[in-house]
Amino acid sequence: MNGLLTIEGLSLSVPTGHVIQGRKQVLDDVSFSVARGSATAYLGPNGAGKTSTFRILCGLIHADAGRVEFAGEPVRSGLPARQFGFMPEQPHFYRNLTPRELLTGLGRLSGLRASDIPARIYDWAERLGFSTVLDQRLSVCSKGQVQRVGLAQALLHKPEFVLLDEPLSGLDPLGRERVRQVLHEVHAAGATLLFSSHILGDAEAMCDAVVVLDQGRVVHQGEIADLLKRGNSWAVVVEGDISRLPAGRFVDLGHGRSRLLLDGEAERDRLLDTLRKCGECRLLSLEQDRQTLEQAFVKLLKKGEQS
Amino acid sequence: MMVGMAAGMNGALEIARMSFLDALRNRLLYGVLVFVVLLLLASLAIAAVTMGRTELLLLDLGLGALSIIGNLMAIVIAVQSLQQEHAERTLYVLLTRLPSRGWYILGKFLGLAAVLGGLMVLMVMMLAAMVAVFGDIHWLSLAQALLATLFEIWIVLVFSLVFAQASSLFLAILLSFCMDIAGRFTSTIHQFSAQAEHAVLRWAGDAVYYLLPNLEAVNLRNGAGDIVSFGADRVLAVAAYGSIEIALLLAVSVWIFNRRNLS
Repeated sequence: MNGLLTIEGLSLSVPTGHVIQGRKQVLDDVSFSVARGSATAYLGPNGAGKTSTFRILCGLIHADAGRVEFAGEPVRSGLPARQFGFMPEQPHFYRNLTPRELLTGLGRLSGLRASDIPARIYDWAERLGFSTVLDQRLSVCSKGQVQRVGLAQALLHKPEFVLLDEPLSGLDPLGRERVRQVLHEVHAAGATLLFSSHILGDAEAMCDAVVVLDQGRVVHQGEIADLLKRGNSWAVVVEGDISRLPAGRFVDLGHGRSRLLLDGEAERDRLLDTLRKCGECRLLSLEQDRQTLEQAFVKLLKKGEQS
Repeated sequence: MMVGMAAGMNGALEIARMSFLDALRNRLLYGVLVFVVLLLLASLAIAAVTMGRTELLLLDLGLGALSIIGNLMAIVIAVQSLQQEHAERTLYVLLTRLPSRGWYILGKFLGLAAVLGGLMVLMVMMLAAMVAVFGDIHWLSLAQALLATLFEIWIVLVFSLVFAQASSLFLAILLSFCMDIAGRFTSTIHQFSAQAEHAVLRWAGDAVYYLLPNLEAVNLRNGAGDIVSFGADRVLAVAAYGSIEIALLLAVSVWIFNRRNLS
């Protein structure tokens, strides 16, 4: 996969509003790239600089330094309008317009042919589950419905790159499931996704790559699978008498079964060797113990704090 | 270049359309219309105690009141609309679809100008219907007064857009209101300052005169009831001054907006 979006040395400071404190560094030499066709989670605690990065990419704020390239071309004031879709965090839109009117207007702004727009609006409304409110004013739509309209406007013109700021916030579990499914389909159809989320379970389920930001700096980037394996611990489930096995962290699962957690390949191999030699215990399963994205995320941030 | 211009213009017209629809359904607008109806009915009480040219009095009072209402509406709608679109992030999805930010300001202006224009025409028609009960209406003079009032309101609208993007909601309304009042006295301030002994005061007077929009230059209301209407040269002068002022203020607005960080 080749890089679609490349960010190098992005820095941004904003005035604190305090005469003595001067300016606050929001982004500090941020560099990462997003592969074409990937789904990348852009994670970080509150105030890490995720939304600021998105706003720079959209041309809404100007970075102090750094370079952005999209499809090999330098980006000066925002990504090319027709090639990307953007969903801001908790959008509201024109309250007195209906979703149909809003999406028609935004579709025209995106350069869609007028004759294509109604079918596309209906398609996205059906897929995202807001077709029943298409002709109600946005002021009477629920937060979750407006959120889905927000996602629809980002996808309406079938952009090759989709930038989503907290796309799943404010949705009920069913809504989240539906939006996740739609994003899966969009990704499967070839679109590249970059999105921020505080719901790490969703990010884990949907993404193949991750960039973690903390206090304006990138603290990790890479394949999400690598990050989850990083603990290099192994989970073994055995059946039988475990008294002859090396001492370790055993969890009794009942019915004579026990679960062991082992750190590293050496410990794993030692246990397998013992199991082979003693016939009183039987190996039921052995798999690398994956940490959740949330655990990995917290570890990364704590490591950052300590250093 | 031409393709970019065409895309930008289409974008501005689309934003104008959405802003128009949104503002047209704003309850504030209907509240104002009800208020105007009540105001016009109340002016009938004045007519009852007036001797002589009742229709002239009603026209003078009515046009003056409608001008004030139009000015206030322009300030409130411009500031509220722009600030709300920023706060609610509507602005973000619009700007990411436009070739440059300037088209947004142009579209916003066109949409709100159309709403205010429609409102003014409707209110003046209501006034004319009431005045017609008491006497003749000189339609050409009234149309000239209406056209000039529209330019006045559009100038107020565009400087309110300038303030709306450069300050907070309250401050933007306050500054726009002050500018509106100052704009009615620029000639007077200039005349007074010209007689000042101190050079600094004279320069300040000149600065006020040339920097602030002169809203009295686009006032033809005093001739609205006259049989003899203003000449075409006067009306053209009003339209030319109004258009240039609007274009200059739009340019200032775009210049500020292009430099703003929308965080």
